[in-house]
Amino acid sequence: MIVDLQHYLLLSAVLFVLGFFGVLLRKNTLVIYMCLELMLIAATIALVAFSHFNDTLDGNVFVFFILTIAAAEVAVGLAIVVALFRQRGTVQVEALNHLRH
Amino acid sequence: MNPVNTTLLILLLPLFSATVIALGLRRQGAWAAGLATAVAGAIAILSWQLIFSGQRNFPAAWEWLRLGDFVVSLGFKFDDLAALMLFVVSFVGFLIHIFSLGYMRADAARARFFGGLSIFMFSMLGIVLADNLFMIFIFWELVGFSSYLLIGHWHERTAAAEAAKKAFIVNRVGDFGFLLGIIMCYWSNGTVNLTALGAQHVPSTLIALLLFCGAAGKSAQLPLQVWLPDAMEGPTPVSALIHAATMVAAGIYLLCRINVLMVPDALTVIMWIGTLTALYAALCAVVQRDIKKVLAYSTLSQLGYMVAAFGLGSLTLRHEMGGVVHEMVVATGVGAAMFHLTTHAFFKALLFLGSGSVIHGCHHEQNIFKMGGLRAKMPLTFITFTLGVLAIIGMPGLAGFFSKDAILYLALEKNTAVFAVLVFTAVLTSFYMIRLWKLTFWGAARSDHAAQAHESGFTMTLPLVVLAVLSIIGGYAGFFSRLAGAVADLVPEATGAAHSTILLVSLGVMLTGASGAWLFYASAETDSLEGKFRLGFRGLTGLKESFDRLYTYYVAKVQQRLAMLLNFIEQIFLAGLLIRGLGGVVTLIGYGARSLYTGSLHTYVYWFLWGTALLWAFAVGIF
Repeated sequence: MIVDLQHYLLLSAVLFVLGFFGVLLRKNTLVIYMCLELMLIAATIALVAFSHFNDTLDGNVFVFFILTIAAAEVAVGLAIVVALFRQRGTVQVEALNHLRH
Repeated sequence: MNPVNTTLLILLLPLFSATVIALGLRRQGAWAAGLATAVAGAIAILSWQLIFSGQRNFPAAWEWLRLGDFVVSLGFKFDDLAALMLFVVSFVGFLIHIFSLGYMRADAARARFFGGLSIFMFSMLGIVLADNLFMIFIFWELVGFSSYLLIGHWHERTAAAEAAKKAFIVNRVGDFGFLLGIIMCYWSNGTVNLTALGAQHVPSTLIALLLFCGAAGKSAQLPLQVWLPDAMEGPTPVSALIHAATMVAAGIYLLCRINVLMVPDALTVIMWIGTLTALYAALCAVVQRDIKKVLAYSTLSQLGYMVAAFGLGSLTLRHEMGGVVHEMVVATGVGAAMFHLTTHAFFKALLFLGSGSVIHGCHHEQNIFKMGGLRAKMPLTFITFTLGVLAIIGMPGLAGFFSKDAILYLALEKNTAVFAVLVFTAVLTSFYMIRLWKLTFWGAARSDHAAQAHESGFTMTLPLVVLAVLSIIGGYAGFFSRLAGAVADLVPEATGAAHSTILLVSLGVMLTGASGAWLFYASAETDSLEGKFRLGFRGLTGLKESFDRLYTYYVAKVQQRLAMLLNFIEQIFLAGLLIRGLGGVVTLIGYGARSLYTGSLHTYVYWFLWGTALLWAFAVGIF
């Protein structure tokens, strides 16, 4: 079986949709966080695939940036989640609606 | 000193005094009184110097405000008319300041009173010296303000506070017409400078009548006369200065100033308004009980005389000189009005100050039916007051005789109907004046206050004596011509048959009225007229109150309803729709927007989803 661009894109789309529904439906902030990362990974897979099949490095360059930013984001995001847990004793999103009032 | 500087000094000295009193001497009543009186004295001396230096019409004008092509300038127009008025204002003003020293000695707010007098002197002198209508208007309003201040001097009394308010509001009505007149005058002539208007102007009845509105307000002519009798709530020196001698005469002075703008139609209206005011006020004066109210209505009546004289207008005089007949038109209306204004200022100030002396002596009793027998107790007041009474009723040889005859002669020549009314008014004048005189000074004292009356002090009797002298000599050519210069030449003089007619008529009138009142009124505590002619008495009282009733009705029914209607519209449209409506819409939007913020992360994600879908739809071109 020849693995071509469509397969990569399909994988990317499936991962993205999984991530998106995870964000939509899960209640735990940590899980939502992981789902967000999943969506980012889906995008990177698509970019790497484009880069490979077009014989250019543009996509790869993007990927480097995305990885860098994602690493920084994870560091900040996890710190927030930890701080939130310490403060409130929970990380369930239904409980985190204080800005509404 | 050069005349411009003298004039400037005359104008600014009282302002200086008023400022110093307002800023620094509020609690030092004696100092304030001294300063104001000293300034009034200085003005009198400077005015004397200026009037008799013979300098007239010197150029003095400064640009004050420039708005594009529109220039407002301030300047002096000092001609014979202004000189005459300046004499009246500064000298009568000074005498009244001296009188006030005694009259207001025990008043708690003496500083405020003298500060008010100073600001009044400043504004009045401004009107006298102004060379254009805008400047006159500015000082006109200032005069109204100082009048308000002084009428309401005893503002703790409701009547005084309301009288001050009434005077101010009624004057605003007249001033509104005046302002419109000035604007129209500028619009059609391009200038409001009096000298320039004299040289060239477009004749217009409307402008003349609108300007007369201002004069009618200040000089309390029908139908704006209601404020003057109420203004007697103020201290008596104020009544003498403002509401008898000077401010109310400012209307007449204004008319003489704008004489060039007058047209026959406007003059006819002015003449009839003056005549009717004279008659109306004389009728009202007959039934008054308050000594000051009698004098107030008498003032109204005399002002009506002056306005009527002005309205009668010019006479064509014939001169035969060497067989050639010269005809010349002389503005006799101005002459007669100003002549009467001058003599009236003397004897009416005298009468008011005399009444002030009486009131002071009787411990603030103002009802003439509670006086009586003051002749022996207040001899100097009695003698001077008698001279004033004789002057106003036209006793030959006294000032009022000459000026009133000039007016009657003019009326005889121009309009018989007006002549008849004015003659009848003159009968009434001597009737009510003798009534007042007899009830106050003759018979026996009818109350404890009158029984314990005492003569007033030196500062109060001195002005009485000086004014009495002026009331005697004021009418003689030797005095008046020297003072009034060219204005004196405008005074109509009866010659030949007309002379004897006028003389006989005025003598007959005086004797009829005077003897009628002397015989009719008993020295009793009730009004003889009320006892014997109840119907007539009630008619006259009703006449007096008719205007107040009418205005009260108008204000209560018409104006109040209009105001309520406007308030309703304001509540519905402005406050309701525009302000609360707009606010309501914004609030609703706010509520809507707030409901989007649920605080639930998932809702936000859905919103994000739909937003992305929408953007995608736009990008693809579905919308």
